[in-house]
Amino acid sequence: MSSQRNPVAGRVAIVGLGHTQQGTLPGRSPEEHAVDAALAALADAGLRPDGIDGLIACKSVQGQGNDVAVGQLLGLNLPYVQSLDYGTCNFSLHLAVMAIMSGLASTILLTYGANARSGKFDFGKPVYGNNMAERAGLVHIAGRAGLALQRHKHLYGTTDEQFGMLAVGQRQWAQSNPNAIFRKPLTMADYLAEPFMVEPLRRSDVTMISDGGVALVVTTPERARDLPNKPVYVSGIAEHAGVRGEHNPENLMRPWLRDSARAIWARTGLKPTDIDVLYIQDPTAVWSLQMLEYYGFCGLGEGGPFLAEGHTLPGGGLPLNTHGGQLSESYTWGWMHLVEALRQLRGQAGDRQVDASQTAMYCSSHGFVKAAASILSTDQSVGA
Amino acid sequence: MTAVSPAADPLAAPFWDAARRGRLVIQRCQGCGELRWPPLAGCPECRSRDATWDEVRPEGTIWSFVVYHRAFSAELKDQIPYTVVMVQLDDGPYLVGRFDDDEDRPPAIGGRVTAMFAETDGVPSVRWRAAQTTDGDNSNGKA
Repeated sequence: MSSQRNPVAGRVAIVGLGHTQQGTLPGRSPEEHAVDAALAALADAGLRPDGIDGLIACKSVQGQGNDVAVGQLLGLNLPYVQSLDYGTCNFSLHLAVMAIMSGLASTILLTYGANARSGKFDFGKPVYGNNMAERAGLVHIAGRAGLALQRHKHLYGTTDEQFGMLAVGQRQWAQSNPNAIFRKPLTMADYLAEPFMVEPLRRSDVTMISDGGVALVVTTPERARDLPNKPVYVSGIAEHAGVRGEHNPENLMRPWLRDSARAIWARTGLKPTDIDVLYIQDPTAVWSLQMLEYYGFCGLGEGGPFLAEGHTLPGGGLPLNTHGGQLSESYTWGWMHLVEALRQLRGQAGDRQVDASQTAMYCSSHGFVKAAASILSTDQSVGA
Repeated sequence: MTAVSPAADPLAAPFWDAARRGRLVIQRCQGCGELRWPPLAGCPECRSRDATWDEVRPEGTIWSFVVYHRAFSAELKDQIPYTVVMVQLDDGPYLVGRFDDDEDRPPAIGGRVTAMFAETDGVPSVRWRAAQTTDGDNSNGKA
């Protein structure tokens, strides 16, 4: 199925998903959440723990839950284990694709677990990590995301009502997701009446913090054929770094997201209209605004009017974050976006199922320094 | 302001030492001449490790700003609401800093600002104040 242009197309399948309840779950460590989710993912995949030969453990935002810590509880000495500093699951999935295609392992468990809420993790620490930022009070991700949004509004005339369609829309989706933590209806009037948290951002524009675990099982297409679930194939992957990280527009507007976008469209030969359901990791709604534009779902600077037209809402032509995203469903550093993409592609998304979903895309970023995207499909030939 | 000793970040110490004397200094690479901020051990343009600290004009333009209505730490509680600006210096680099809020001169993208130097309990600070409008529109300029 693969091609020279895109050697990964159809070569790896996701066959299992599992997660814990998401919310306030005191008394459990990040590793325990990760392993609870792992056991659920293995059961979903129809595998026993000894049916895997690889483990890629993603560390929590608190830095816990590496391969050694998770491995102790899983009790397996495997041919390939690895840890990853970055969340969002895209980076974990990409590492799994590389490990499988290189032959290091054939069936890999991906884990994430966090207790950032119960553990009272300090999201208010200076993002730039030096005393210049601390003295200025530029703390929390909302600070830098707010700088980017203010600039976007200035350059393109984006309005609060347009931008608010992200928070309002994700709440609409969350209402049909039993796993979502925030399900109370949020009208545009409610949204606009919210006080600013870090102006121009309101509370509903910023992720909640929740505890929980998520896990996936990834394997070869050959093995997937013998397992119970409809396989979801990896059609293409791309990443791009912005690690220079100066305090400048490039750091905040993140134009390097466009480099990841160009790479994935070029490799897969696909275009934005080929995507049935779209997922964008959203610690703040600013991420969705930026990635809708950079990945070409609308033009640069046109995110506001595009959102106002309602494409991303239930019933729209570009369903976005159909689980409610990090704004309404749960934090999980973006991992649940991929879980929801799989559910939609398997046809297991209940009342929020989008008809005839065959191809999904997940775009994410590690803070202000790294972009990643994956395209998934139930059709093994997509992207080849 | 959070009282952080400049010594906590040795790389930035020359910046704060100069701020005590009311001067704005920025690292300049001796290999390629680029000004850089924040301070780094080496130049990201030419990888030279040699740098000096050069005085720059304490003036610039607001590239963007945010207003904090929530305090994310105990020390910030008595400061909200407060405004943080990203300023492009006339000499090139961008700096993040606290804006001196003034009802008559609200922050605006494109607005001209001047650095203000102060020292509280031995800890220096650099803040930004909207410049007096003498040459053109200060309130809502496009940048």
